[in-house]
Amino acid sequence: MKNNLLIKYFILSLSSNFIFCQNNNNDLCLIATDDSRVVIAGGSITEIFYLLEIQNKIIAVDITSNFPEETKNIPSIGYVRMLSTEGILSMNPSIILGENDMGPENVIEQINNIGVELRIVPEIKSVQGILEKIRCVASIMDVELKATKIIEMKYTDLLVQLENNRKKVSEKNISAMVIYSMQGTSPIVSGSGESGDAFLKMLGAQNAFSSFKGWKPVSAESIIANDPDFIIVTNRLLKRFSSLNELKSHPVLAQTTAAKKNQILAKDGMAMMGFGPRTIECALDVSKVFSK
Amino acid sequence: MSIEINSVSLRINDMDILKDISLKVKPGELMAVLGPNGSGKSSLIRIISGDILPTKGDVVIDDKPLVEIDVQEQALKRSVMSQSQQILYDYTVREIIEMGWIYEGMRESEINVKNKISEVAEECYVTHLLDRSFNTLSGGEQRRVHFARTLLQINHDYEKVGHRYILLDEPTANLDLSFELKLVKLLKNKAKQGFGILLIIHDLNLASKFSDKIAILYNGALSSYGIPKDVFKSKLLSNIFGIPMDVNPETLRVSYY
Amino acid sequence: MYLKYSLNNKLRFLKKIFQTRYIKPKQTLIILGLLSLLVISFVLGITFGSYNIPLSNILKSTIEPIHKTVLIQIRAPRVVLAGFVGASLALSGASLQGLFRNPLADPGLIGVSAGAALGATSIIVLSNHFVPETLSGPFLLPLAAIGGASGVIILLFLLTKGFKTRGTTYMLLIGIAINSLAGVCIGILTYISSDAELRSLTFWTMGSFGGVTWPLLLPAIIIISFFLFWAMPSSRNLDLLQLGEIEAQRLGINLKKLRFNIVISSAAIVGISVSLSGMIGFIGLVVPHLARLLGGVNHSYLLISSAIAGSSLMIIADLFARVLVQPAELPVGLITSAIGAPFFLYLIINTKKA
Repeated sequence: MKNNLLIKYFILSLSSNFIFCQNNNNDLCLIATDDSRVVIAGGSITEIFYLLEIQNKIIAVDITSNFPEETKNIPSIGYVRMLSTEGILSMNPSIILGENDMGPENVIEQINNIGVELRIVPEIKSVQGILEKIRCVASIMDVELKATKIIEMKYTDLLVQLENNRKKVSEKNISAMVIYSMQGTSPIVSGSGESGDAFLKMLGAQNAFSSFKGWKPVSAESIIANDPDFIIVTNRLLKRFSSLNELKSHPVLAQTTAAKKNQILAKDGMAMMGFGPRTIECALDVSKVFSK
Repeated sequence: MSIEINSVSLRINDMDILKDISLKVKPGELMAVLGPNGSGKSSLIRIISGDILPTKGDVVIDDKPLVEIDVQEQALKRSVMSQSQQILYDYTVREIIEMGWIYEGMRESEINVKNKISEVAEECYVTHLLDRSFNTLSGGEQRRVHFARTLLQINHDYEKVGHRYILLDEPTANLDLSFELKLVKLLKNKAKQGFGILLIIHDLNLASKFSDKIAILYNGALSSYGIPKDVFKSKLLSNIFGIPMDVNPETLRVSYY
Repeated sequence: MYLKYSLNNKLRFLKKIFQTRYIKPKQTLIILGLLSLLVISFVLGITFGSYNIPLSNILKSTIEPIHKTVLIQIRAPRVVLAGFVGASLALSGASLQGLFRNPLADPGLIGVSAGAALGATSIIVLSNHFVPETLSGPFLLPLAAIGGASGVIILLFLLTKGFKTRGTTYMLLIGIAINSLAGVCIGILTYISSDAELRSLTFWTMGSFGGVTWPLLLPAIIIISFFLFWAMPSSRNLDLLQLGEIEAQRLGINLKKLRFNIVISSAAIVGISVSLSGMIGFIGLVVPHLARLLGGVNHSYLLISSAIAGSSLMIIADLFARVLVQPAELPVGLITSAIGAPFFLYLIINTKKA
């Protein structure tokens, strides 16, 4: 199919970037001077390491790196936004890889001053952005060819399907909302510019709450007024309820089309909004439901 | 040279607390202020101490208007013992008395201060309490400690200050008979040494026996003022205190029951 | 002869600042003890951390460059900051408890911490939108916090007509009002902030000494020390104040000046501390009480001992924050609150009786 070819071309062009024009993005993705001991701050990067099967180089991760299960056995440097300089240095890393919300700023500054190599991997919250993130990490770790192969093998079909589903979904003009957690009885919902919103864009769905920016608590009334066709919640939120059915009959959600038509989904928060490799699979799962 | 109270009036919330009071506290004199509760005695002391400003009239200390004397200088010139205060933290008795030592950073040597503390402690019979915690003392003992502090405040050697005065608002409250007598005798003694003393007291017999001058306040007005012999009249006292009183014209002793 | 004279002069200067006349021999011993505790906690703070630097190497001064960097650029400024912040919070707690004659008084009480926090949160949330790139930098956050703290003081100053006309109860009530007002403003800022800003904000308010650098620290040390010395000579007057405000005035104290000195110095040192380390609770409350239990209640002793004890306690708390879950770390405010909150309850229950 034509689509199929296009995507293959797209992937190939990405991988050829490594070889022919490495400076395409910026210096951040240049090959590491010494990649033997890596500290990672950011769950998506850890996922990429496991995808590329170079996890043996990881010596410490932050607490958002919770996938796969084995990461539990790796020393933790704390929360990605609240790192400790000395804690990181005590692991004696040869390079530190972080997502762009790594912080606080003065810790990054201290690490830079000391001269330990530190890369903040660029993040664009889209399918292409995820692929570029993989490419960047692969480039730093000098495994570009392997990365290209793995992406081709594992994701070509997924990407084609996702692209097809996305078209169907946008034709159906579906609206959806992403709930991160509940603050009391008010759900915390993704407005525009947030990862939840970006995830919906990947699916071709419209964000029912694009009128505001950031994560905000919204009232029961505005949920009814915006009436999403689908609701996606995090697994962590679902844990507070005994079942999806109980969540569905929650007074705040019960009046929506989504609840009435039984169109509420629960997904792992990091898988859905971490924008690592898993986000592609998660998006495909959800898009299958949306496009039905 | 004296504390002059010139036609002082005080109005608070449309109530006349004090009405046109004029008095003089002279060095070397013990003046007792008498009067029933609510007659304005404590307000008078508060005005002389500079806590509140009179609505009319003024106070002059040694020819200088009170409002022109800064608080530090006032504190060196006169000490005030008011009705009981609560103290939150656990100070020792010695520390409380030492708070009367405001003569900071001038010429005094450490030993001098220690001697003076022992001196006033002895005068007030609190030497044995010096190292106790103030808050564990009985009401009467606490009064004696405050009295010692009041004495220490003007027991400095800074001569430029000139005459010194002690103002006391019912210092004998809570004291047993023996200490009450001892305290008034001590004050009389201080007056002889040259201090000017204004004493609010309820015991009429102590007042008549030991004071040089007596002022009687009634409903905020000065109803009588002079030496005890002139003031202590059966009729006047009976009127003011609202019970029949009999004054022996010889001894000036008052009997009222 | 001259040497002796100048030495005497210096001693007199120190005596004036620290009011040594009123410190008893036993209290001098306690202060010396606390000082050695401070030295010990400083050494411990410098020696231990998630990065293992063998003590023998430090002593033999055969240090690898990376070790030296960790020690001098990362650990030392952190320990020093913790020490100064601890001293600031404890000293202002002690002097405010004296000024307000309230054993539950705390730097947070008169709204200064909240003001500093509001200044800092505004800058975190709003800087992306309104502050031009060229103006932002490492000093922006501390400056905003000091601005917030000063704003609160100016407000206090205006509302109490120059710390003069009304009693301290009035000032306390204003402090409570300012606290809730600042809370509302922080709430609004939290609401309009986006996700990333919000999270750095919540973590910032939990307190941490991480990531401090010498260029940020040095000006803070100078200002804090200045105001520590500024507050000390008020200790004797704080004692007299315990007799009551009227009584204190009768003893020759200029109440307005005393309130001004205490409030200004507290505000400055708390504002700077909050800006550099976030809001760290309970040190200002707990340490003065410990100091009173140890050696007595007179402020000439209390202010010095609180500052020293607060300093070493904070260094120890931060040490725990650094090593308990290494290589990650805990917010230091968690540790101080874990110790302080039960103590606070105990105090409330006990003061109810009085």
